[in-house]
Amino acid sequence: MNEEKQLQEVMEQLSVLEPTAADAPRPARQAYAQLQAALQPEPAAERPPWLARLGHWLIGPQRRVATAVSFALVLLIITFSFPTVRAAASDLLSLFRVQKFAAISISPEQLALLQEVADQGMIPGELRIGQEPGRLTPVDSLPEAAKLTGLTAVRTLPTLGEPTEIFISEGGSAEFKVDEASARALLEAANLDPDLLPSGIDGALITIVTFNGVEQRWEDGTTLLQLDSPLVRYPERLDPAVLGEALLQILGLNPLEANRLARQIDWTSTLLLPIPTDMASFEEMTVNGTSGIGLSSLDGNFHALIWQENGRLYLLVAAQTMPELAELANTLE
Amino acid sequence: MTSLSDNLLLEQIGQGDVASFEALFHQHYDRVYGLLFRLLGNRDEAEDVTQEVFLKLHDHAFSRRFLQRNREHNIGAWLYRTATNMGYNAIRGRQRRWQRNTLLVPSPEGVPGADKEVEQRERETAVRQTLAKLPERDTQLLLMRQMGFSYAECAEAVGVAPTSVGTLLARAAAAFKEAYEEENGER
Repeated sequence: MNEEKQLQEVMEQLSVLEPTAADAPRPARQAYAQLQAALQPEPAAERPPWLARLGHWLIGPQRRVATAVSFALVLLIITFSFPTVRAAASDLLSLFRVQKFAAISISPEQLALLQEVADQGMIPGELRIGQEPGRLTPVDSLPEAAKLTGLTAVRTLPTLGEPTEIFISEGGSAEFKVDEASARALLEAANLDPDLLPSGIDGALITIVTFNGVEQRWEDGTTLLQLDSPLVRYPERLDPAVLGEALLQILGLNPLEANRLARQIDWTSTLLLPIPTDMASFEEMTVNGTSGIGLSSLDGNFHALIWQENGRLYLLVAAQTMPELAELANTLE
Repeated sequence: MTSLSDNLLLEQIGQGDVASFEALFHQHYDRVYGLLFRLLGNRDEAEDVTQEVFLKLHDHAFSRRFLQRNREHNIGAWLYRTATNMGYNAIRGRQRRWQRNTLLVPSPEGVPGADKEVEQRERETAVRQTLAKLPERDTQLLLMRQMGFSYAECAEAVGVAPTSVGTLLARAAAAFKEAYEEENGER
């Protein structure tokens, strides 16, 4: 059969897909009105804006389907950089919990590039979000919060008095099945060497689970979030150090820097936090004898501390100086 | 597809002109929906994904990412490529939710003329399932061509030389036919 005839036949076959009158979309004007509504600023953030923005970058929540792809990238960044102290293992799977943190700057330009790649729908596999994290539900007391989340001995900041608001922050879960070819294509689209990724990762299933947490707020805006450290499970054949080096390049480090830093980071115990330079600066801090990361908004109005203690992750945000915040964190009871 | 007016509109959007974005929306809405409906076969889903495509366009256009990154400001190519990618993502999501049959073949039982309706739906489903198995570029080319896009427009959308489109379309058609026959036992 000649090519032209075959193409014509296929075109005829495809014509069954044409929308009928019943399938016509609603009028463009109406669709545009809906789009405008979606573009309106969302209702006042449930969390303080700076915390919400940072939280959005790090863990969600996502309000639009469109952002799910961005979430996938962030999830991957977290997942690939995640590994931490091994809590359990079987023949096939490794299970990790976050124990410490490291931060790395990501430039707006690199972020825009990754966003553009994500916006084009390029994801390096299939993401299935079981539950998006971050939804807040108010509760009346800390005992109630403890009961609902299963967190024992919820800690608070007695020097600030009783919190004015207490919430349950919902956990989330997601599975990601790696598609090696798509992952390499994504690297290429981000102007990186597709061979950065090791072979044999195709079909690897990575699971990440974040748990319900308790968020307390005080009148002066101070906010404390605590939750059990997230869990990541992935096949043992994935080498986190190799993936970590690729991740560092994705985040904008040149190959030499990425290689040097990748060898310095203990990928089996550290969660890497990519921090956009147009959003915050960071510094290493010590909180209650453990290492943490201090984050400061660029306008200097807000500071945050993130650290892990005894299997529990803490995030403290306040309009205080970083030393004051560290001092406040040390009063946790 | 990349008309002068698109470029002008984009420049104006970059300066914050909302009316230009609206004009761009009206210019491309029907065809983006048409592409997505052919791919997804479900009006609601196609409308939702169309909205998401234009939300991305809004984000890109107002943040001036087109102007910063794409010297040619090829909005049409970007829109149809993004729509195809997002359509495929929706199909993958649907597969994950095991709702494919529910979405593609709502049961017409008890409706007058149901047999005919079932046959029609089965044909549509077979064609869509075949398309979903092809590389995204092949599907995009076939659907755009079926919608009446010119070779030049197809070339822009998939980023190849216009002279290559004929060959690529022929290959895509052959791949479609083979996959269709394999799936439906018509060899």
